[in-house]
Amino acid sequence: MGKRVNATGIAVLVFFLVLGVLVSMRLTGLGSHWPNPVGSALQRILSPVENALLYVGHGIRDNTRALWSFHALEAENKSLKEQADRLAEDNLRLKNQVLAGMRFEALDQGEFRSPTLDKFAKVGATIINRNPTAWYQTLTLNRGSKDGVAVDDPVVAHLGLVGKVVAVSPTTSEVLMILDSEGQVSALVRGSTGEGTFGIVQGTYKRGSRLTAEGNLQMLFKREDTVNVGDLVLTSGLGGVYPKDIPIGKIRDIRLDPTGLLKTAYIEPLVNFDSLEEVYIVKTVGGK
Amino acid sequence: MRHVLLAFLFLLSLVLPGTLFHFWSWSGIKPDLVMLLVIYTAMHNRPLNAVLYGALAGLVEDFFLGRYLGMYALTLTAVALLGGWLAARWYRENFFLTMLVVFSVTAVGQLLVGFLGIAAGLPWLPSDVWRLVGGIALYNALLVPLTYPWIHHSFLHGWLRYRPKYER
Repeated sequence: MGKRVNATGIAVLVFFLVLGVLVSMRLTGLGSHWPNPVGSALQRILSPVENALLYVGHGIRDNTRALWSFHALEAENKSLKEQADRLAEDNLRLKNQVLAGMRFEALDQGEFRSPTLDKFAKVGATIINRNPTAWYQTLTLNRGSKDGVAVDDPVVAHLGLVGKVVAVSPTTSEVLMILDSEGQVSALVRGSTGEGTFGIVQGTYKRGSRLTAEGNLQMLFKREDTVNVGDLVLTSGLGGVYPKDIPIGKIRDIRLDPTGLLKTAYIEPLVNFDSLEEVYIVKTVGGK
Repeated sequence: MRHVLLAFLFLLSLVLPGTLFHFWSWSGIKPDLVMLLVIYTAMHNRPLNAVLYGALAGLVEDFFLGRYLGMYALTLTAVALLGGWLAARWYRENFFLTMLVVFSVTAVGQLLVGFLGIAAGLPWLPSDVWRLVGGIALYNALLVPLTYPWIHHSFLHGWLRYRPKYER
């Protein structure tokens, strides 16, 4: 008898308990704005701990990501490998183009061959002098008209373009380097996608601006042209002086013009002009 | 000391699922560590104490969550009762049985949460409730091999051990 009374009592207690909780839940649901000082205090006390734990959690997740997301990472890895293969293929194609311009092989009597420059005769030359003034960027070579050198013949080094012959004597020739502001070159920028953007490479060394870093080249582009840092600059073959695909340099920096319409790419030459000792004259004019 | 340590463990259990276990959640399912601790406490204490711990822990959780006051207080009270009742009948040094107790009691507790939520008018889908009930119960059960040995040892021989007045 007593047991039955207890069970009923418990059932009634549970019923009212559940009812009370349901009412309480309704009153303290979202948007009810009931005062909760205990909760606020708890949040205040525990938030630094939560922050620290979350920080630790981030650290653990970042450092153990490979373990927890193995399959996802495997798929990502596979995809990246495929992408890397594609990029390597693109890169190889690009390199072939670059190498086509850079593949100068020493032949007998100081002449050089390359796929691009194959149809021209070349002659090796030694730098015997540099312009004594600081205003011009020219070199004097030990080859002249006797060797078949003529004005406007391009001059290349083993890594890339040096300049062009601007004056010839029977035994010497003067070369205007591309670093000189007057040594403009019609050029082509090859991006990672292989697409070319045409422009004019110009030496930044100008009269009246001698404090500008020597050895820099620059190129102007329209704002919307897609050129990036690290892109290779080659001769375009336009203009009639320089054959196509001779490497000039790599874009080191790109800055937007103050007008906002143009941008300037600063190019790092492939050739170290300061330590240059030997060059090759491509007889594009003199060989004809 | 025992009560301080228990309070610390409860607070830690309140914080961990939203922080560390957030990174180890499966499809949004995280363990209910407070419920796990209430079950452990219930397994190592007398029923009245267990119910008090459960109710208090639930109330603190309700305040911490800041809404639906009473939902966890009632749930954890029921969990403490059920956990203590089952532990008194099942051998508690058997890990498999302990896992089964934790799984069952957590499932009941989460079902109660789901029931109370739906009864209070929360727009929870029954399918979600089932998924959560099963997931949380399984997660809690899987944590038993990692957590139970040291907490069981502490309740029997360590800082969580109940000391009678004459021993104190």
